[in-house]
Amino acid sequence: MTIYSFWIFDRHCECIYHKDFKRPQRVLRPPTLASTTGDTKENAQQQQKRVVSSGGPPKGTGPLTVDDEAKLVFGVVFSLRNMVTKLAGDRESFFAFKTSKYKLHFFETQTNLRFVMVTDVRVEGIRPILEQIYAGLYVEYVVKNPLSPPEHPGGEGVNNELFSLGLDRFLTPLEIFE
Amino acid sequence: MVVYSLYILNKAAGLIYQRDFNDGLQKLSSNDYLVLSGTFHAVHAIASRISPVPSSSGIEVLETDTFRLQCFQTLTGTKFLLISDPRQQSSDTILRRIYELYADYVIKNPFYQIEMPVRCELFDRHLAAYIKAIS
Repeated sequence: MTIYSFWIFDRHCECIYHKDFKRPQRVLRPPTLASTTGDTKENAQQQQKRVVSSGGPPKGTGPLTVDDEAKLVFGVVFSLRNMVTKLAGDRESFFAFKTSKYKLHFFETQTNLRFVMVTDVRVEGIRPILEQIYAGLYVEYVVKNPLSPPEHPGGEGVNNELFSLGLDRFLTPLEIFE
Repeated sequence: MVVYSLYILNKAAGLIYQRDFNDGLQKLSSNDYLVLSGTFHAVHAIASRISPVPSSSGIEVLETDTFRLQCFQTLTGTKFLLISDPRQQSSDTILRRIYELYADYVIKNPFYQIEMPVRCELFDRHLAAYIKAIS
């Protein structure tokens, strides 16, 4: 059994934390056009072009970048949650879905923080683990940290060493992390 | 075993058949059913794209507290969605049986136009009998 990746999305639909554990395919962020020379007009045009190209849907069939994958993961859980509330009432949400190769677990808090964990198909019932990550790690190290901003605008994210370390220390000894 | 409803989607995300068998879920308007099938079709495609390992299928099972949604996609792209009780474990075999019924009474019906909404009395009757038999 394996954990592939872990994501946290805030109530503004922004990915605020992401960690890959064991995954075979991943490319880094595409190189940004950071030109320091040249006249400002051209620079501004380039900037504009970059904004346009990065705002669109992911293209091609190769491996996804982290940013693109975050958008897709969020899109999937958001649409599925809406679908489930439509079918079963407002207070309902789904907790997992499974494909032939992986399983995605989902946990949403009262404040619309969404925790997503992608694992092997054989992993069952890890909602308590996600709840523990929220209550024991996120609340302790991120929410109670006076230096951490309450919101994370612009995808700044949870940049918190204690949280990262705690997460590693919590997940590594688990049986599902093999 | 409680089976709530069955959806059949053609390969272009069109809803060609929808039937509720038991109460338990919210009643939706026909427009909502179309939105739902469209959403599922899209999410199904994206789910195979975000797979951490190559060549994954789309969503096969969706688990919630109140229901379990099982999806079976045929080789031709038609999707069968079965919404049942969360404790139902054998949805896959039920769907395969429903696919057989579909092949027998819908596809083999000479008056049925492919990819169009299913209006076949024999299929309705056999499906209802089968669902009644398993519940």
